[in-house]
Formats: sequence, structure tokens, C-alpha cells
Amino acid sequence: MKKLLIRRAITSLITFFSAITIVFIISRLSGDPLAELLENPEVSPETVEALRRAFGLDKPLHMQYINFLIATLSGQLGYSINYKRPVLDVLIAKLPYTIALLIPAITLSNYFAYRLGVESGWRRGRKFDVLLTSSSLFIRATPHFWLAILFLYVFGAVLNWAPLFGAVTPGKVFESPWEWLLDYLWHYILPVSVITIRATGAMFLYIRNSLVEVLGEDYIMAAMAKGLPDKIVLYKHAARNALLPAVTMMGLRYAFIIDGAVLTETVFSYPGTGRLVFEAIIFRDYYLLQGAIIILTTSVILVNFLIDILYLYLDPRVRYR
Amino acid sequence: MTQTTVVRTKDRASRTIEGLRKFWRVFSQNTAAVIGLTMFLIILTIAILAPWIAPYDPYEKVGLPMQPPNEAHLLGTNDVGQDILSELIYGSRISLLIGFIAAVVATLIGTLVGMIAGYYGGLVDEALMRATDVWLSFPGLLLTIFLATVLIKTPIGGKIIYTVIFAIALNAWPGVARLVRSVTLKIKELPYIEAARAIGASNRRILLKHIIPNATPIILVAVLTRIDSAMLTEASLSFLGIGDPTVKSWGMIIHYAMIRNAIVIGMWWWFIPPGLMISLSVLSIILISMGIEEYINPRLRESM
Repeated sequence: MKKLLIRRAITSLITFFSAITIVFIISRLSGDPLAELLENPEVSPETVEALRRAFGLDKPLHMQYINFLIATLSGQLGYSINYKRPVLDVLIAKLPYTIALLIPAITLSNYFAYRLGVESGWRRGRKFDVLLTSSSLFIRATPHFWLAILFLYVFGAVLNWAPLFGAVTPGKVFESPWEWLLDYLWHYILPVSVITIRATGAMFLYIRNSLVEVLGEDYIMAAMAKGLPDKIVLYKHAARNALLPAVTMMGLRYAFIIDGAVLTETVFSYPGTGRLVFEAIIFRDYYLLQGAIIILTTSVILVNFLIDILYLYLDPRVRYR
Repeated sequence: MTQTTVVRTKDRASRTIEGLRKFWRVFSQNTAAVIGLTMFLIILTIAILAPWIAPYDPYEKVGLPMQPPNEAHLLGTNDVGQDILSELIYGSRISLLIGFIAAVVATLIGTLVGMIAGYYGGLVDEALMRATDVWLSFPGLLLTIFLATVLIKTPIGGKIIYTVIFAIALNAWPGVARLVRSVTLKIKELPYIEAARAIGASNRRILLKHIIPNATPIILVAVLTRIDSAMLTEASLSFLGIGDPTVKSWGMIIHYAMIRNAIVIGMWWWFIPPGLMISLSVLSIILISMGIEEYINPRLRESM
């Protein structure tokens, strides 16, 4: 068990370094990073040369790579030209908003996908199953940003139930923390619903099909033959085994949910890390984009590691090997 | 000698036709797949016939700006007076084409990686599969955004659209690589490969003449099942403003609608139709892929 844990930890570390290496390679793909400055008539060639030396771009590529690794590990992710602050500061300031969206979205979507998937697989081919299966296909086919736009248009612009942008009403003075919380939740409900619905739709079919497969196993028939109530067969015998393959998919789903957060925050002008990615694209704030990718990818690797550990606890076959 | 070759090719052709007929028998039983195929063919026809059926030139200002749907402009006009129906019809060409080419490129890369990993095995396999895992640990859209923004500075062949296609393909290859690797592993163990090796065929010859032809059906399915996600990625990139601003894909139309505040103003005719078109095309491809997967894996037939 301990050995397995250590091995998983080492694998995660290797993945982390490889991911940073890939980011470095991509960042050098376009050739000279200062090429745009050289063409700018307002910047003298001497300034560009000075910058080149300051950024260590005059050194050979492998030295640049080592410097990049050291800088990234010590949290120096560069300087945001739009915010005029270090990238890490900008990211940390916005991260809580995104985490507050992600954690409920992940928990709820996993729960909904599990419950609905199990119930739907149990009623295979009946109205309930057909309805849920086809709506999950529709959700999968709907672009994430467009689902967000529909919600914003219908509930925000037409019905006027929810605000059109932001995380709290700008300029409003709050008399108590409760008032602030209420305003925050009022802005929060639409984005978190969109991310949850899309993630549930993506996960649902996987659990349903997994359950249908398990229901065909002999031990389910044995459990039924014993005269156990349906509910116990379904949740104690079938659902637990159907969940195992779905757990390995959770890591991939988490990466998918982050992509969704980027698009949803953009539509709702929600001030999180995802919206920063959009701003970085629009303002060509290159280091901000790179920093956001490093931080978010690191979180994916971390979550994958945690899921691996969870899997060790859930699957006795792995535990006792 | 020539005669036997002719007979053999004829044999192969008739076998292919028979296989297709058998496939159609199973596929046509699946109502959802047939609906998907019909939807896809309609959208494809619209894309091919775009110049003949579009009422206006989508890049020309042909009416007053911001008109709601009316007789002259069935889906209204945008903020500069371009006809939205015409934009939609022409947009189908770009969205389908980018989705299709990106899926093909992704499949080529994935096939190459998967086949080499599966065939040579050992350390090569280990290294390539590790790389695939690392690639999968990135949030896919973010990686594509990063690649596209970096590569667009020096576009491939001077065209932004090629760069976007390449970035989408670079994101989508790992799934194909895993699939092709597992198929290669299976084919590699078959007796005729051993026979080929015994008579001294080179690795390259075995790969090109024996493994690729046998993996072709699965590779073709891989292309098809990648089109839907490639189209969604393209739409998301365009929506975020990454892409050629002068080429109007469905995602780019929605991008302009958003930055011109169409959602808040309530110009629904500008952003609802393109989103519907994306959803319907993606849905049609998902339904077709499910029909094909059901044919390949009969166990699925019982589960649906």
C-alpha cells in the first residue's frame, strides 16, 4: 500500500515536470519572444537587447529551460502587462472565485450523474431512461459557452431574475456580511448551474452504461435470487461496482470542468481565473495566459493524484495486490 | 499472374460491398443513428450549396443594422447590417471543414504514435504512452488556446485557419493514439504477422502492408468520432476570439454577438441560430458515431 502510494506520487511528479517542459517548448515555438518589440518603433533596439539579457534570452536554450524550471518552481510566473503586477499575484487574487465555482460544481455533478445514471440504467429502455439519455446527448452536443449564453439571456436579460455580470453588485455598500453573501449567491447561481449541468451531462451516460454492464453479471442475478429488495441489489451490489470505472474518469472530468469554467466565467463576466484567460487572449497578456495554464494544469495533476489514492481505497483488488 | 491479381481485387471489392451492406443492415435498425445521418446530410448539403442558397453575401452590408427577423432578412441583421441567415449558411462550410480537417490531422498524428508504441513495445511504448498521459493531464481547451495564441504569431503557411486546425489536432491526438495502440497490439499477435516476419519482411513493410490495412476501419471511425469534439473546440476558440477575425465560422458569429453586447440588448436572432447549428451538427455526428460503435461492438446493442 505504502509502496503503491510512493509510486503514484513519483508518477505525478514526473507528469508535473513533463507538463512544465511542454509549456516551455510551446512557449518557444513561435521563435523569438521579443520579435514583436523589435518591430515596435517606440522601443529602441538597445532596450530590446537589455530586456533580452534581463530575461536570460541571450543564453543557450538548455540554460533558458533550467532558468524557466527554477522560476516556475519558485512561483515567478512573469509579469502581467495588463494588470501591471506579477502574474502569481493576479492569479491568487482571482483563484478563490473559481475554486468556489469548481468545488460545488464537481461535487454536485458527480452526485447527480451517479444518482441519475444508476436510476436510469436500472430502468433501461423505459421512458425515464430514454428521456435522460437523450437529454444528456443534447447537453453533450451543446457548446459550453452557448449554454451559458442561453442561461444569461433567458434568466438575466429576459426574465430579469439574475444579474448580467460580475460576482457582486459593483459599487454597492453592504451593511452586513449576510447582505454581501446574498448578493454574492444571486450572482453565483447561474454560472454554477451551467457548469454543473454540462458536467453532469458529460458524466451521466458513462455511469449509466457502466451500471447496465454490471447488471448483466452473475452475482447480481444471485443477489436477486436470494430475494434481496431491488434497492439493496441496486445500490449495495451493482452501483458500487459500476462506480469504479467512473472514478478513474473523474480526473479527466475535472480537466473538462476547468475548460467549462473558463468559458462560463467569460460569458458571465465572472471575475475568476477563467475570465483571466479570456482577458489574457484579448490583451495579448502572454505571461498571464502561461501562468494560468501552469496553475490550472498543476491542479489537474494534483486532483488526479488524489483520485488515484481514492481508487486505492475503493478497489480492494488494487489494495491487496 | 496478372489474371490472379485482377480476380483478387475484384474479390476484395465485392467483399467490401458486402461488408457495407451488412453494416447498413445493422446501422439502419438504429433510429437515432439514421436521424443523425439525415441531419448531417442536410447540413452538408447546405454547406456545399452555400453560394446558391444564401440570399446575400455574408461579408457585405446589405440592410439596416440590428433588424429583427423580417421578410427581407429571415434571421435579421447584425450590428453592421450583414444578413445573419447568409452568415449561417456560409458559416457551415467553415465550421464543418475545420472540424473535419482537424479530426483527420489528429487521427494521423495519433495513428503514427499509437502504431509505433504498439508495434515496437518496450521502452518506446513506455515513453510514448507516458507522453500521452501527460498530454491528457492538461485541461484540453486551455492547451489548445495556449498553442493557438503562440502559433498565430507566425501562422502556418501564412494562414491563421491552418494554425487553428493544427492547434485543435495537437489537442485531440492522444485518444486516437491509445485506441490505435491497443488495436496494433492485437494485430501484432496474429499468426500472419509472424509468418511475414519469418519470411524476412522488414518492420516498415509489416507496418505499412499488414498492420495499417487491417486497422483502417477503426482509424476511419476514429476520424468520425473526433469531428464532433473538434467542432466544439473550434467553436470555443472562435468564441474566445482566437481565429481569423475575417473568416466567419458559427463560433466567430457568436463571438461578435457577445462583444457587441447582443445578449444584454436581447438580439436573440444573432446568437441563438449559430449555437443551434453547432449543437445540431455535433449531435448528428454523435448519433452517427453511436450507430457505428454499436455495429463494431455488438455488446453495446444490448445495453441501449
